[in-house]
Amino acid sequence: MITLVQRPAAALLTLLVLFAVIGPLVWPDHAAQDLSRFLEPPSLVEPLGRDHLGRSVIARLAHATQLSMLMAVLCVATAVLVGSLAGIIAAWRGGWIETVLHGLSEAFIALPALLVVLIFSAVANGDLWTLYVGLALAQWVEYFRMVRSRSGLVLAGPAVEAAGMFKLGPAHIIRRHLWPELRPLLTTMATFGVGSSILALSTLGFVGIGIRPPTPELGLMVTEAFPYYHEAPWMSLAPVLVLTTILIGLLSLRNKEARL
Amino acid sequence: MSMHLLHLTVTHAGTVLVEVAGLHFEPGVPVTIVGESGSGKSLLAHAIMGTLPANLLARGSLAVDGHSYDLADRANRRRLWGPVMALLPQEPTLALDPTMRTQEQVAEGAASFSTDKKAARRSAGALLTSLGLGHASAAFPHTLSGGMAQRVAFAAATIGGAPVLIADEPSKGLDRLARAELADLLTRHVGGGGILLTITHDLDLARELGGEVLVMKDAHILEHGPAAQVLTEPAHPYTRRLLAAEPARWKHPWTRAGAPAEAPAEATAAPLISGKGLAKAFGGQQLFSDLSVTIGAGERACLSGPSGSGKTTLGNVLLRLLPPDTGHVDHAPALRGGRLQKLYQDPAMAFASRVPLRDSFADVLRRHRLTTGRLDEFMASLRLAPALLHRTPGQVSGGELQRLAIIRSMLLEPALVFADEPTSRLDLITQEETIGCLMDQVDHLGAALLLVTHDDALAGAVTSRRIPLGREDGDTLPVRPGLRTTR
Repeated sequence: MITLVQRPAAALLTLLVLFAVIGPLVWPDHAAQDLSRFLEPPSLVEPLGRDHLGRSVIARLAHATQLSMLMAVLCVATAVLVGSLAGIIAAWRGGWIETVLHGLSEAFIALPALLVVLIFSAVANGDLWTLYVGLALAQWVEYFRMVRSRSGLVLAGPAVEAAGMFKLGPAHIIRRHLWPELRPLLTTMATFGVGSSILALSTLGFVGIGIRPPTPELGLMVTEAFPYYHEAPWMSLAPVLVLTTILIGLLSLRNKEARL
Repeated sequence: MSMHLLHLTVTHAGTVLVEVAGLHFEPGVPVTIVGESGSGKSLLAHAIMGTLPANLLARGSLAVDGHSYDLADRANRRRLWGPVMALLPQEPTLALDPTMRTQEQVAEGAASFSTDKKAARRSAGALLTSLGLGHASAAFPHTLSGGMAQRVAFAAATIGGAPVLIADEPSKGLDRLARAELADLLTRHVGGGGILLTITHDLDLARELGGEVLVMKDAHILEHGPAAQVLTEPAHPYTRRLLAAEPARWKHPWTRAGAPAEAPAEATAAPLISGKGLAKAFGGQQLFSDLSVTIGAGERACLSGPSGSGKTTLGNVLLRLLPPDTGHVDHAPALRGGRLQKLYQDPAMAFASRVPLRDSFADVLRRHRLTTGRLDEFMASLRLAPALLHRTPGQVSGGELQRLAIIRSMLLEPALVFADEPTSRLDLITQEETIGCLMDQVDHLGAALLLVTHDDALAGAVTSRRIPLGREDGDTLPVRPGLRTTR
């Protein structure tokens, strides 16, 4: 059921996704500098003006949004896939596999998520793939733990025992017992996961250890625009607005019924 | 003290769920309402208490000691709860707060609890001691047996001194011994000049309580009279049907006469399951040890014993769903390929809960290369509407779902069926229908049956051999090495 809150949230997110997909095509050049147009105010051609190096802010914003969204979705998809598979295997097989996986997840939980990403990006100095691996590594744990405990309950239940008496096999158990039970939880968690990934990326960019400039990134754009806040406030506000809209949109999108 | 109910109707969206012209309650005369699930008997009790769900509409009035209360107003009887009226809930293990110790839980109901906690705790302690629970006053509910939990619930309900006690299916899930204790408590309440209204589908409990019996069906009271008369010489055809549904009176081609013998059946039949030297302990409690059990082809045996004696555990060990601590279990080749089936106490737990039943059945049919026609045939012969299959298990009634579970098992033509209290949550008529479905199939296939039940009458009607477990005379679980062996 779509609630009153979900409709505008979905509309907002759709607009942002369109901006992320079409924006870079409309304003393809985010790196061209023109120092003669230093801090040019917004105009019809340049809705957000030009930054301190004379680069088009809207072009940089479009590219940054696209990058953040792609990265977040990729990271979450990887984390969900790896976490769920590991969780189901641990719950199903038990024994030393479960002990090893569980110990590994404990180790990751002991480290703050951002620290995992930091260590990774420090190793490879801000390459995109290291951020991707770092974020996915920081996130798989929560999916693993949730899936493991849920699957453990389902697999030990009489319904799965009955399926065993009918020799129905693992495909049936995953399709009819585990997946229907896990799906609503995974979608809710993934929605939050996308939000927190985008936030983590921009946090790293903001403190200057994320993606290397000149690749535009939301957090990096905020940092770069701060010194010129009094002359050109729109420059720092625009990426903040994009971030806020994405997060509010994702939070309002989640289904109340899916929370179990 | 007197209580009078006048012109009660309970409706939901225009449908009449309860319609009673008048009911009079006298101190010292227990009133018992019997009837099948959905007859409206529980709603009647909740209408009197003022605890109906908000979407139901009650009309009528209740006179308590000359003061009249409008039943449409849900809140006006709230101040009677505790000092005047109390409800003994069904399934006390679920009704008690799992995080509170018994004495505190009971003390909460005392009138003085808000002013003088110490006095409340003292009187709770005294009440628990008088109920033989003095040793359990610091225990948490999950450590109590079903019968003890029922007594704690009774203490919590009556500590306020309410003369009017309403008991809603109080014997549900209790074994024979716990039920006798419960009947004794309720009788004592009446003997002390209290008013008692019991809602039950347990006719034995109604007999033990005596007093007045009302038979309800489809929102109306069909018959009303002294227990001795209504339950022995019923006037209404429905009451006769209800009485005939008691397992002891069943007359079907498959019913067995006489109590099941403890001796094993003659050893002519080939053994399907043979367990030797079995032992199993749970949480430091030895459920059974050095037990040997053999189930032969076509045999009908029951595992009986009080709650917590390890009946289900032994069954699961015999089915090799649980490993025994010692000993081993052999299965005959005839049981391979799904020809060993299990029926569960709560059928809703035995189906994938979030998918339509149709999909669960489709997987069984596909895996065993059966045609849909076979399923349709079964559905028709058990009088189940095909539309049921489009629902999820939670949307089907317990009786219907258990019949669907029976169909699912029978699709594989099992050589042995293990039925774990398959009807303990069903009313008498539904129970007869459900057991009838099961036994027709078992009879037809010549399958062996291993039935777990604490209902001796049911065991007697269906099985011819008894495998007893546990001590039959106490709350505490048996700790006995070398428990009776069957071979």
